Amino acid sequence: MTSADHDHKHCLEMFQKLSEFIDGELDHVSCAEIEKHADNCVACFTCLETLKRTVAICKNVKDQPVPQEFSRKLKEIIQNIPKTTSL
Amino acid sequence: MTAEKNPKHKKIKDKDFELIQAINSGQTDKFHDLVKRYEQSLYNFSLRMCRDHRDAEDMIQETFLNVFRYLKGFRYETKFKNWLYKVAASTCIKKRRKSKFAPEKELSLDDFHPENQTDVPDHVPDWALIPLDKLLNQELSSTINQEILSLPKKYRLVIVLRDIEGFSTGETAQILSLSPSNVKVRLHRARLYLRDKLKGYFENDQR
Repeated sequence: MTSADHDHKHCLEMFQKLSEFIDGELDHVSCAEIEKHADNCVACFTCLETLKRTVAICKNVKDQPVPQEFSRKLKEIIQNIPKTTSL
Repeated sequence: MTAEKNPKHKKIKDKDFELIQAINSGQTDKFHDLVKRYEQSLYNFSLRMCRDHRDAEDMIQETFLNVFRYLKGFRYETKFKNWLYKVAASTCIKKRRKSKFAPEKELSLDDFHPENQTDVPDHVPDWALIPLDKLLNQELSSTINQEILSLPKKYRLVIVLRDIEGFSTGETAQILSLSPSNVKVRLHRARLYLRDKLKGYFENDQR
């Protein structure tokens, strides 16, 4: 089967569930259907792999350190909260 | 902001439990220890929500002040971290400043379907195949952070909580007061949006 003659309806159904598939939030039957479809449809397989990679990039994006000056400022603000107004 | 009072609910004793108990029993100087624990993660969460450093810093200050104000009412019905992010997200949502980088628009699933795009892919591109550690660098981190900021806030909140902060679907739903299915819909669209941006980035760069 080529990407030109694959089952478009099945393709659309799969497309809607790709994130749940990646997150392991689908039942076994739905997972098996997606795996089978992706094995036979280059367009959907590509979509799945690029989406998986997008998620992986997001999960590995680096954090920035807190600027020391802000950290000091935050400490001062916390120390100066009127303690009687709350706790 | 205050957790519901439910005497039958079992208390969740996470890593912050004892510290919060101490603060709530009068050792208010320990509040800064709690701030130090979450300062780094909240700073980055705020940066991804606010775009510029000054707004992010305002958001963190406001969040911690609200946490201080309402900590006595925290009932341990969820992890403290989840409650903290609920306060932060609520602070963020209230700051409804219009930004030219993030117009509040809906993302349609149809826009991302391969059949509706100009070129239906016939192979998996290199950027999705090569080992992840060879792909990740400062420039890519900066690009993905910029593209996250270009997402409308309702989608941005979900993808940041799920894929960057690592909250589950259920936890994200609780933090944002959404249904789990709504979280899934927004997450999927946000991921597809970012995937398209990454595709453009790598294609333009001819990697």
